[in-house]
Amino acid sequence: MWRRSASFILDDERRRTSDSPPMAADNTTTARAPFQNPDAISAYYQTRAAHHGVITSDWLAQAQAAVGGVSGEEHPDSSAAELGKEKTFNVIEEFNGWRKQPDLAEAVAAIRALAAVIRASEASTMMELEIELKKASDTLKLWDKTSISLTAGCDLFIRYVTRTSALEYEDFNSAKSRLLERAEKFGEISCKARKIIAMLSQDFIFDGCTILVHGLSRVVLEILKTAAQNNKLFRVLCTEGRPDGTGVLLSNELSKLDVPVKLLLDSAVAYSMDEVDMVFVGADGVVESGGIINMMGTYQIALVAHSMNKPVYVAAESYKFARLYPLDQKDMAPALRPIEFGVKIPAKVEVEMSARDYTPPQYLTLLFTDLGVLSPSVVSDELIQLYL
Amino acid sequence: MPDVQSMVLEFVNKLRKRKIEGSQATARCTVELLRSVISHHRVPHHANQASALIDAVKAVGAQLVAANPVELAVGNVVRRVLHIIREEDLSLATAAVAGLDLLDASDDDEDVNGKGIGYPAMSAAVVAAAARSTLRPPSLQTLLEGTPESATVPYTSSSGADSESKTADKSSITRKLKHDVIEGVNQLIHEIAGCHEQIAEQAIEHIHQNEVILTLGSSRTVLEFLCAAKEKKRSFRVFVAEGAPRYQGHLLAKDLVARGLQTTVITDSAVFAMISRVNMVIIGAHAVMANGGVIGPVGVNMAALAAKKHAVPFVVLAGSHKLCPLYPHNPEVLLNELRSPSELLDFGEFSDCLDFGSGSGSPLLQVVNPTFDYVPPSLVSLFITDTGGHIPSYMYRLIADYYSADDLVM
Repeated sequence: MWRRSASFILDDERRRTSDSPPMAADNTTTARAPFQNPDAISAYYQTRAAHHGVITSDWLAQAQAAVGGVSGEEHPDSSAAELGKEKTFNVIEEFNGWRKQPDLAEAVAAIRALAAVIRASEASTMMELEIELKKASDTLKLWDKTSISLTAGCDLFIRYVTRTSALEYEDFNSAKSRLLERAEKFGEISCKARKIIAMLSQDFIFDGCTILVHGLSRVVLEILKTAAQNNKLFRVLCTEGRPDGTGVLLSNELSKLDVPVKLLLDSAVAYSMDEVDMVFVGADGVVESGGIINMMGTYQIALVAHSMNKPVYVAAESYKFARLYPLDQKDMAPALRPIEFGVKIPAKVEVEMSARDYTPPQYLTLLFTDLGVLSPSVVSDELIQLYL
Repeated sequence: MPDVQSMVLEFVNKLRKRKIEGSQATARCTVELLRSVISHHRVPHHANQASALIDAVKAVGAQLVAANPVELAVGNVVRRVLHIIREEDLSLATAAVAGLDLLDASDDDEDVNGKGIGYPAMSAAVVAAAARSTLRPPSLQTLLEGTPESATVPYTSSSGADSESKTADKSSITRKLKHDVIEGVNQLIHEIAGCHEQIAEQAIEHIHQNEVILTLGSSRTVLEFLCAAKEKKRSFRVFVAEGAPRYQGHLLAKDLVARGLQTTVITDSAVFAMISRVNMVIIGAHAVMANGGVIGPVGVNMAALAAKKHAVPFVVLAGSHKLCPLYPHNPEVLLNELRSPSELLDFGEFSDCLDFGSGSGSPLLQVVNPTFDYVPPSLVSLFITDTGGHIPSYMYRLIADYYSADDLVM
């Protein structure tokens, strides 16, 4: 709920009274409703937590209630259902299947799901195929409104299909096979992207430096691994990363590489900032202004780093660039994530459950992407080239 | 060939001994040397002559950059020449493909597959578009596309046929590439030589009546800039910070007075005291990095900080040969040079303190004389180059225009 004014008492009343009707309304709509989590618990952050192996019991219960046992049972034998709905089931199931693999980027999972749509499609012209793809991509986006990589990956693929089908003079089957091949290749591109980013950022890590890391980004991990393999001497401070516990996981990975690691409480960042030389974070999405959307806490760290003149470097693959322009923290679709405090909280006490925040571009120094080292103002240029 | 080799060695020596001063002179000499290298290089008739030229230029360029890594203009110019070679090659390739397309359409059938599976025919438009994308830096648009090797396609498809008209075309293409590249290089020399006039033309837009301008050290670009405004009948005053330890500000002050401008000489330490009376700070840069940061003579960082504190616009003048495509990491150390301490202290007076023979072997008195200063992009208000005025966050665009992504690492 928005807390813009002091009339939160009124808002509270309104919320309590309006709680019951929407639930009823949902159930009367199409069979897509079970796929839309009514509590707006972000499926994206849910999956990330699953990757990190942190799943609380009430999270599991909520997830199960939302999905309601639809998972494996319906899709092969729903012959009575319309063809469109069968596709709907397929694409989301396919996507969830790919997404569960911990090493696969979100956008790659999305593009692989769209590739599955192409494979299963019975269209005979490019136009028909494009319309099917668009419908599948809309379904995926609707399924999880909070995942930016998903949206960006879908848009990128659709854009590629539209643009190249106009350019190539080829017959339908070869076009289809080309699209499938490109979609498969994208997984390699994503892996290669991480290596390119790691290579580009090597010069910025000098011997004897102290790096502050927040969150568990696979790209940042790749950067630090490469630096350690190149025998660079540096040490890492990682924040605890509540509620996901990313700090402990990251320190596990880094101690395997013999990199000195120090764990900090999230609140100890300002205290330790003067001994830090640079801050490295990943990104869930890069928005049009050049700012980033990342795990909760990134904005705070960027503010502190900026006020103490420390550079903040963001490592993100280029397919995370999204056409969003948030004007403030609450300007995005809410992505909620239940937090466990270990003790019982009284019923009337609210909990800020947002899983992510927005860091404006003026607090970021440089972005390391597979397109090269960019300053935040270059992002909108790239997006314009793609979409216009 | 041996003649060129000796020229290269001579130039490398000059660079290493720092005999050439100033980025414009260095840039010019480098381009002229590269022009000789290109014109003397014997290019193979088949296959990729462009890559042969590129390799030759890269080899020489690596030597030059290694001789004086702090003089960024050398690397910039080498990369400009490489970009010119790639561009000329591309335009010839598209022209050749367009020409071939008209002559014989059936040749496309036996083409190599640069892109994917099952391609019966590759239209000229597709090849041109793909080749163009190899020249541009990687972008979101081309992310999903494969890496096309279509730059070689025109050559192979032309070698497949043996009609005489085709072979005549081929040898003319050979000669044409070198000729076009030399033309492009001549244009570059012309541009480098003429950068002062181009920048000075814009002076009248930035300097207004009765203004007070602050500058530091001596830069020819700044001198021309100020004099151009004076000629257009603007009356203004100039404060010149002397730029210790070389005191080149004194020379600039003399030149300005000779051209009739009211000048005041101040010490570097007085910059903070005087900045509140100043309307604009104009300095010349040694190099401009890809993030918009400026490498300038020592003391400009102080002037930039003073200007920021008092909300005075900080304008940097830089010719296009000073734009460097690299991002600075640790510029204070890696892009700086320490000059002789004799510029600061007279050895005779301090010989007892600077004695390496006493006690532990290293003297207690140390003298550090850095040549350059790094100004972060947040302190710069405007860059004036020969193409116009730009803000620091726009510099990446100019760099993308002048350089190719493949040449960044030599």
